[in-house]
Amino acid sequence: MTTPDPAPMNITARRPSLWRNLSLVWLVPLAALAVSLGVAWKAYSERGVLITISFENASGIAANETTVRYRDVVIGRVEKVGFADDLSKVSVQARIDKEIAPYLDADATFWVVRPEVSARGISGLSTVLSGVYIEGSWDQAPGLSQTAFEGADRPPLAQPGRGGRRITLRTDDGRMISEGAPVLFRGIEVGRLETPRLTVSGDSIVVDAFIDAPHDRRINSATRFWDSSGFSVSIGPSGLSLDVDSIASLVAGGIEFDSVFDGGQTVGPGTVFDIHTDEAAARRTAFARTLSGGVAVAVAFDESVAGLASGAEVQLRGVKVGEVSSLNAAIQSGSDEAEVRLIAKLLLEPGLMGLPRGAGEAEALDFLEQAVAGGLRARLASAGLFSSELLVELVTLEDAAPAAFNREAEPFPELPSAPSDLPDFTATAEGALERISELPVEELMAQAIATLASIENLAAADSTRQAPAAAVALLEDTRALLADPGTRALPGELQAAVSDVRALLADLQQGRAAANLAAALEQGSQAAASLAAASDELPALVADFRALAAKANSLEAEELIRSASQLIDSADAVIGTEGARALPPALTAALEEMQATLEDMRQGGLVENANATMASARGAADAVAAAAEGLPALSARLERLVAQSEALIASYGGRSSFNSETLDALREIKTAARAVSQLARKIERDPNSLLFGR
Amino acid sequence: MENPENPQRFLTAAAAGLAGCRVCGTANPGAARACTCCGSPLEPAAPASLQRVWAWLAAGLVAYVPANVYPMLRTTTFGRSSENTLIGGIAELFSHGSYGVALIVFFASIVIPVAKFLAIAYLAVSVRRPAALGSHGRLVLYEVVEFIGRWSMIDVFVVAILTALVQLDFAAAIAPGMAAVSFALSVAFTMLAAQSFDPRLIWNAESENLNDHA
Repeated sequence: MTTPDPAPMNITARRPSLWRNLSLVWLVPLAALAVSLGVAWKAYSERGVLITISFENASGIAANETTVRYRDVVIGRVEKVGFADDLSKVSVQARIDKEIAPYLDADATFWVVRPEVSARGISGLSTVLSGVYIEGSWDQAPGLSQTAFEGADRPPLAQPGRGGRRITLRTDDGRMISEGAPVLFRGIEVGRLETPRLTVSGDSIVVDAFIDAPHDRRINSATRFWDSSGFSVSIGPSGLSLDVDSIASLVAGGIEFDSVFDGGQTVGPGTVFDIHTDEAAARRTAFARTLSGGVAVAVAFDESVAGLASGAEVQLRGVKVGEVSSLNAAIQSGSDEAEVRLIAKLLLEPGLMGLPRGAGEAEALDFLEQAVAGGLRARLASAGLFSSELLVELVTLEDAAPAAFNREAEPFPELPSAPSDLPDFTATAEGALERISELPVEELMAQAIATLASIENLAAADSTRQAPAAAVALLEDTRALLADPGTRALPGELQAAVSDVRALLADLQQGRAAANLAAALEQGSQAAASLAAASDELPALVADFRALAAKANSLEAEELIRSASQLIDSADAVIGTEGARALPPALTAALEEMQATLEDMRQGGLVENANATMASARGAADAVAAAAEGLPALSARLERLVAQSEALIASYGGRSSFNSETLDALREIKTAARAVSQLARKIERDPNSLLFGR
Repeated sequence: MENPENPQRFLTAAAAGLAGCRVCGTANPGAARACTCCGSPLEPAAPASLQRVWAWLAAGLVAYVPANVYPMLRTTTFGRSSENTLIGGIAELFSHGSYGVALIVFFASIVIPVAKFLAIAYLAVSVRRPAALGSHGRLVLYEVVEFIGRWSMIDVFVVAILTALVQLDFAAAIAPGMAAVSFALSVAFTMLAAQSFDPRLIWNAESENLNDHA
């Protein structure tokens, strides 16, 4: 190895210029710096707008975790949870995406979405695990943006930008309404109630409701609201009726509305509607309200108006044309003495009376004047067969006492009244039923049994054995009489009559009583005819009795003759009355007489004719028993009738609203159950869906 | 080892007219452009190569900033998502009482990278100026930096593994944040910086100094 020479350039070399010797590697940190700065600038420039939302409390809100959403899309995140200056509120600072910020104007609202379980369902389930979030809502137009907002506790009923109309409802009873209760139109939910609040005076409760578009167009001056919560049971001529609305409205309360008459005018904002207690009450107000354009007339009634109430209908040939507005007594000072008269104020709707639309009071009064001249009178009528309510009927009577329509009467024009024919069908039908039930069938039976016992005693007596052949004939005749088909047919006729009556009752119970009035009357007369026919069978019976009496007469028994003639009288009375009522007592009397006669005969020394008498008597007893067999059948028929009535009432439900309501309720419960089971199945299948809320 | 008080005169390869191959260690003649043994290009231990060290170090430092500012992990548990930066995560671990884990993470993510920056910077500076640490000490330091460099990626590995494993849909999900990429880049740049440093410069400088003193 030689000694190495130091390389001269190593010693002398000067460092070249920094720039010339610059390595390309420097591009790497420059690029890194550029990228970092770029990212930082981007992050800064895209940083959202910080807004402050104040809440009552910050339950569940956590900084850097809680998101702010709009239509369930995350648009921001809470950055800080703090207090307002005076600790009165919690102020939540959230950073909202830049694109969204311009929309956050005065109408923007924020609320915290939490899981909520209420009568109307479960909401916000997805927040159970993920924590609450803040939901915002605003309209679709950018406005003057703000950065400070008041947070609401609950979602607003009407979210900004949602079509619809806000109305105010008023009620006296706040129990039936609750916040968020549905507003229904024909059973369809079209809106929601907001928080009810007391008026300043505290005498009523007002609640705002928001009706979604397009249903808000249905709100006009003809709209009436009523409470549809709860259920009602009523028994009327149309049967048992159970009204149950949806389960939700049963629990949370609900308000239903409808237009109760045509031609309502659009109402301006700020209109306050009353909530009526039920649909009927709401519909009734249609008259009171519209009759600002209606015609008020007064009618003075001389008779009792018990059963006539304010709100009762005024009918013209069965069509409602108005209603009774008020009832009061007025003292009318006549020429010599003061007279108290009952004045009913009627409100008549010209439109309903057939007058052209837009007809005013003058036209209506002209019409009434003309009609009264033609015999139109107001009179009281029964509202229904089973109802004690009255209504006012406008009828044209041919033989009406002359009267005039007093247009100048104060305070209202006075319509002449006519006496009502109120002792009506109801009373008649009730009377008929009463009479039927009063028929002493039991007594008749007892009497017949007693008679048979007497006959048997007579037959057993020694003296009877001594009875002459005439007695045998008498008994044979008796037997023949009792075996007579006519006698036997009597119970059958009675049954027919009863079944007719039953058919009548069935028809009456079918409802439509008023409409079936004529048919019912016809049935009644048929029943009466049947009864008469049954009675018609009596002459034969009586004739037989008469023959029996004649036979007995030949026995030289004075008592017998007398009692037989009494029997004839009684039987005649039966025929004479034509009423079934008289029949049994007469028969009873006749049998009593016969018993007395036979008793007498037993005591008087009669010729013995033991075997024949016994046979005859037994035959007679059998015949009477056979005849009497019909009577238990009759009572059985009656019992069956009762049972059938019960069954009828029971089966009644088949068509009645009671049943359909019950079925509806059941169906609804079933639907609810199905929904729950579907929910359960869905959760089972896909638990994530519950958690994600999807 | 060396004794600074009694510095031993020694001959560097450059002084001997040789060039050591950095790949296979063969001592080649100084004029050779390529290694006679493995064929890799030979570069003289030029102080200019320090530029690359500084450049990579700067890149590593630049990348280290977002690695600390941006979130490392985005953890979503039952719909709640939380993001943690390096420091934030360490503070959270510490506040939860996991002192050991917090310490490990602190060392792996903060202490070691920072120490590496400092060490490389110190090495680079010490080539030009007299250093407190002797040449041998600096060589050891360099070797330690090189050795530890590959382990600095442990954070990135953890993030990668977690991200791959914890994808339990809704129950828990972990996504890497921007810091993970930055951190990986930072580590890579630092490693490149360490790689760019030519330890021969230590000895060259030493001999120059000694020569100057002599």
